[in-house]
Amino acid sequence: MTLVFSLAIASLFAAGAYLMLKRDLIRLIAGMIMIGNAANLFIMASALRRGTAAILPHDGDDMADPLTQAMVLTAIVISFATAALALVVVYRVYTSHLSVDLGELSLAEEEQSELDEPRSEDIVETEIEEEVEAMIDEALAEVPT
Amino acid sequence: MIALPLGILMFGSILLALLDGTRKRNGWIAVAILGCALIATMRLGWHIYDHGVQEMAVGGWDQGIGIVLRIDLVGIVFAVLCQLVLLSALTYEVIADVGARVFPALVLFMAVGLTGLTFTGDAFNFYVFFEISMISSYILVNYGESARQFRAAFVFITVNLLGSVLFLIGIAGIYHTTGFLDMVRIREQMPLVQENPAILTATIIFVAFSVKLGLFPFHFWLPTVYTGTRPAVAAILSGALANIGTYGLIRFGVDIFPRELEAASAVLIILGCASIVYGGVQAVSRHAPAEVLAYSAIGQVGYIMIALAFGGTVGLAAVILYSVLNSLNKTVLFLGISAHGWLATAAVAIGAFSVAGVPPVGGFFAKYALFDLAISEREPVLVMLIFVGSVISFVYMFQMYRRRIAIDTGPDAPPVSKQSLQAVSFTLAIGLIVIGLFPEPLIHVIQMAAASLTQGVAP
Repeated sequence: MTLVFSLAIASLFAAGAYLMLKRDLIRLIAGMIMIGNAANLFIMASALRRGTAAILPHDGDDMADPLTQAMVLTAIVISFATAALALVVVYRVYTSHLSVDLGELSLAEEEQSELDEPRSEDIVETEIEEEVEAMIDEALAEVPT
Repeated sequence: MIALPLGILMFGSILLALLDGTRKRNGWIAVAILGCALIATMRLGWHIYDHGVQEMAVGGWDQGIGIVLRIDLVGIVFAVLCQLVLLSALTYEVIADVGARVFPALVLFMAVGLTGLTFTGDAFNFYVFFEISMISSYILVNYGESARQFRAAFVFITVNLLGSVLFLIGIAGIYHTTGFLDMVRIREQMPLVQENPAILTATIIFVAFSVKLGLFPFHFWLPTVYTGTRPAVAAILSGALANIGTYGLIRFGVDIFPRELEAASAVLIILGCASIVYGGVQAVSRHAPAEVLAYSAIGQVGYIMIALAFGGTVGLAAVILYSVLNSLNKTVLFLGISAHGWLATAAVAIGAFSVAGVPPVGGFFAKYALFDLAISEREPVLVMLIFVGSVISFVYMFQMYRRRIAIDTGPDAPPVSKQSLQAVSFTLAIGLIVIGLFPEPLIHVIQMAAASLTQGVAP
């Protein structure tokens, strides 16, 4: 049973990681969902034990661990919510860039960072240089020849 | 009494979710709720200072069955810090007019998450509160709703979701190896766990929190996000949310995996040094103020890592002190650079001095604690590195300030912001000076907190 679980977790995680390396944003999100599900399976695998339901244990019987199920239920809800949220963000990226390609996004990012460079920088530099030159001239004028 | 701050925040955030946050009145209601929660947290902190760790099993269950809320001094320091940062950012945005209906509610939800994870004594509950604050931050990064924010949000969500999944795997690993979720029991059980699974779990958790912090090899998402989001959100991310990383490393590293932390101290120091150098050099070469601050944040994390690697009571006190002051610095700077006028400029100047570690501003004592630590550990190379890092941070902070003056006095100067808007960052900056002039109370509380964690006096 442990082997089956580890194989399932490994293949889910590997498939998710492979998808996350794609340039397509939808595939990226799909990869994230798969990795999230691998984590959920991992929680289930963390306490694999056969036994009766924990809600009404008989004396002497082995009890299945109820805690992992509570945990995995919470984790599933959370990963479901974040996946939905991530898809919404992909949709907003699509409506604002008309593309779901990672290359286009990084192009847009580069254009933005070029716009960010403050223009007045050059003005300040030249002003300072002029001031320094004027000071040097003054100092030279005072030097007796 | 333990549950009071959490209760105020939970009901407040649900109430605010129903109201329209763009209206001024509702914005101020959110500020009032967060203020009440801050006061309640401080009162609880005073109680803990007097009586030690407080504990409560949720839902009327017996001890050992129900989920436990357990809060010590370290937790309360981080809770107060996060709430203070969130309160300033929210006040700033309410004064500047909130642009989205959900903004105040999301800030309150994030306060629930951050306060909850400092209050909890249960590893899985930590994850749940962690996700509450992460999900609200995923939505908050979109705030502003232009193409740029969507790009930032996408990068942020992808990377941090992966970090959260890693953390979840780490918790499952802890549960599998120890059989407990209560942190105190985990700590008792941990020494009995075999070495290999313990190291593996510790590494996974370390990576998960380093992603949140933006430590050197995991930093790549940080500049895009910090420059892409609105300034109030950037202040929240770097001032409040990044504390999850530090607090998580303290809670899980120092408390649960002390053996593994000690074994990894060389790695932590190397990563910390790389972070300081990389962040500093990149920050010097950048022009946009938000970008400088983003790389500066990467650099500052390096100092925290080095202090964490030394460990012990002194090292831990340095970690806490440094992260408290770093959060306040970043909040002052992010809120200051987006406002214009002499008050905001003064705030930026004070924040810049604090980052560089110039007395009498609070940042001096954070740097002083690090120097003290490195000298007492007899590590001349690290003393040099911390010194060089401080010089670099002075250079890029000075450059940023000079550019700001040039732009504000230049031909196309931006219009002066409202006085009250500038006053938010200025008030915090005054707080930094007060900490710098009267550091004893803060240092005393932090040393007590560090001692309670390392010497096992409390939990």
